[in-house]
Amino acid sequence: MELSESVQNGLQSLADPVIFDLKTFSVLIDVAFRSLLSAHADSSVLDQTEFKRVDQTLLKHCHTAATTFILEGVKQNADKSTISSCLEDVRFDAERTELFYATYQKYKSDVETLLSSIGRCPPHINDLSWRLEYRIKNGHVHKVNEPSYLISLNVEKASNGGSLEDVNFSCTMEQLQDLVGKMKDAAKSLEKATQL
Amino acid sequence: MEEVDKILIHSLKQTGTNVGKDVQSVKHFTSELIVEAVVRCLRVIDSALGSGLSPSLPPGMSARFRVGMSLAQACQDLGYKGEIGYQTFLYSNEPEIRSLLMFLVEKLPKESAEALDQPAGKSALLQKSIAAQIKAQLAMPWLPPSCRLPMLCKTQNPGPSYSFQCQNLSLPHFRNVPGNKQLKEEKDYHRDFLLPVTAQLSRHASVPASLMEHHAAELSATHEWENEWNSQGLLSRLTPEEYRSRKRARLQKRIDEQLRTATQPRPDSLSAHRSGSDLTELLQFFGGSPLPGDILTKGTRFTHTEKFTFTQEPERSAQQMAAAASSLPSSHQSEEDLQTQQQEELAALQQKLQQLCLSLEEVGGDIRQLTVSKQQVSDELKQKELSNAEKEDSVLVKKRTIDLLPDAENNLAKLQALVEGSAKRVVNLAAQWENHRAPLIDEHRRLKELCSNREMESSRKLTEIKELHDKIRQSAEEAKKKDGLYKQLITEFENLPKDVSRSAYTARILEIVGNIRKQKEEITKILSDTKELQKEINSLTGKLDRTFAVTDELVFKDAKKDESVRKSYKYLAALHENCTQLIQTIEDTGTIMREIRDLEEQIETENGKKTVSNLEKILEDYKAIRQENSALAAKIRDA
Repeated sequence: MELSESVQNGLQSLADPVIFDLKTFSVLIDVAFRSLLSAHADSSVLDQTEFKRVDQTLLKHCHTAATTFILEGVKQNADKSTISSCLEDVRFDAERTELFYATYQKYKSDVETLLSSIGRCPPHINDLSWRLEYRIKNGHVHKVNEPSYLISLNVEKASNGGSLEDVNFSCTMEQLQDLVGKMKDAAKSLEKATQL
Repeated sequence: MEEVDKILIHSLKQTGTNVGKDVQSVKHFTSELIVEAVVRCLRVIDSALGSGLSPSLPPGMSARFRVGMSLAQACQDLGYKGEIGYQTFLYSNEPEIRSLLMFLVEKLPKESAEALDQPAGKSALLQKSIAAQIKAQLAMPWLPPSCRLPMLCKTQNPGPSYSFQCQNLSLPHFRNVPGNKQLKEEKDYHRDFLLPVTAQLSRHASVPASLMEHHAAELSATHEWENEWNSQGLLSRLTPEEYRSRKRARLQKRIDEQLRTATQPRPDSLSAHRSGSDLTELLQFFGGSPLPGDILTKGTRFTHTEKFTFTQEPERSAQQMAAAASSLPSSHQSEEDLQTQQQEELAALQQKLQQLCLSLEEVGGDIRQLTVSKQQVSDELKQKELSNAEKEDSVLVKKRTIDLLPDAENNLAKLQALVEGSAKRVVNLAAQWENHRAPLIDEHRRLKELCSNREMESSRKLTEIKELHDKIRQSAEEAKKKDGLYKQLITEFENLPKDVSRSAYTARILEIVGNIRKQKEEITKILSDTKELQKEINSLTGKLDRTFAVTDELVFKDAKKDESVRKSYKYLAALHENCTQLIQTIEDTGTIMREIRDLEEQIETENGKKTVSNLEKILEDYKAIRQENSALAAKIRDA
């Protein structure tokens, strides 16, 4: 895991027992995780009593570094050895590394959810209902005699919190066959993707 | 044999042979399977050799025969010593096939071990993990939304999603470059008013995206800088700060020049002049360069005219400001009034502007004339001053000579003495100068040499530094690669099936070796037993012979005298003969028994060769060939 210079600087000051004693350190780590995960921006996260004696500029810098490090770690799905080697590089002692890793484990899945919420997600198909329609004739042709299918897909949309919606369309038999073939193709290529 | 077969089948599966699950040993191999296995092995061993062979048996009999022949030929080319021909493949028997397959499997290249040494690239690893994820998710059953467990929610719920939007973050630059002093106000802002990063953005959802983007930008900037520094910066022999400032100055100059040529003023239009000047002002403003004058003091013709033309710029802008300000209070008058007023104002201003322009040009012409005349006058002044000084000198000399005239001779002698003294002094000084000069020149040369030495050394060191940099980078990369490889191998090792364990194999091998040793001991024991028995038999025979000879002699002697003894002698002879016959018979039985055992073994091996079924097969194939032949003949006849 590569870290930029400013993040490394911030983490180094976090590791310094003169600036942050162990209690303040643990509070700051916790605050970093919570400020990332809280649903709305809270400008008073750093107004804790433990931080009163720390220089505010340094505190903000360290907070930025910690949040960036957390995001990078979760983004790369870093395991314990990676994180500890990274933290050792910025002179964390074993106790602090352990403390950080414990907090990291505690919040990791939540941060993962947060990161996976970045991006787009097409609606999921939950259910399907269909009706066969047989057209005998229309306004122009006396004898048509062809079937068509009315398909209704029940989809779950990601954008508005998993609400259910219907997608309706009608298609001829060839189009339906094409659709089914495409779906089979998709399923097959998914299977293929697992066999790397 | 079972172990051997298992290993053989495992290796054959690895070469891509489709061995069915019910095939447990070589005994169950069909001709098709044998051909496929052999061809796949041949392809792996030598792709050129195996590419001409098809892994499936053709239906036609003669074609099968040909395939068998070519396979046999290929195996012999590879160096197979055993008996091999088309019959090996078509009418198989177990031991032959086993030995052939063992030979081929041993010949298989051990490439798999080498292939693992290359670390998979980052993308390959990523794809692998993606595949694992997909697999895991496919294994989980889909549940309708209402009965989803929280465990499934993460993968099956779409969840809210935000697009990747990032905004600029304002970060405190703590412990920045030491030379770069921060303003006090900036420091105060960072300390007292700057919000923590997670609270800075209007949309909280874009905080992670912005943070990651910021970090990535910083990282790539450092990479870029390192690349440039290693390729060009080191060679320039400057400190990083100097290099940076020089580069900045160079870029600034380039931009300035570009803009200046782009906005080259046309003498006829005044507006162009103004825009040009605005741009240069703008440049000075945003460039914030420490020496804004530097750029313009180069003294191009343009800058001079500019200076003349735009000295009144501030005044004008102040006037404009005043006009704008005066128009402000009247803004709540009716619109028409406003418009007419504005038009009037505009006309007035334009008039004024024209007037000003005219006066400006006049004044500019005056100034130019005046400067030219001023220069002329100052030149004249200088010349006059020079001639004045010359004249003053000559007057002084003449005055002195006139003073000296009354006592001419005395003064002449004095003057001569003076001249001589000065000549001597000059010679003296020249000698002294020479004395001084020699060591100084030496010193100069020495220093020059030293300097060049130093330069050479510095360039040598520079190359060394560069090499070291390269080495460091290479080592770091190698270490990273090795680390990745190690991790990958560990995961692979964990994923490996544990059933084909090495230790089990070695234990089995050791067991077999132990068994063999035991058997060997038993064999030697039996051998020694047999030897002992043979010895005993020999000694007993000898004893018997001797006893018989002695008895025979004794009884023969007595037989001449006594009739009953003669009879007994006859009996003795008969007994001896019968016993000999008996022994002979026993020996014969032994040999026959041995022969029987040999024959039984032979029968078994013959049975193992599936002779009957093979013969039947051969018969069938023979029929098939005859049919084919007759069909071909019929075709020929038809044709």
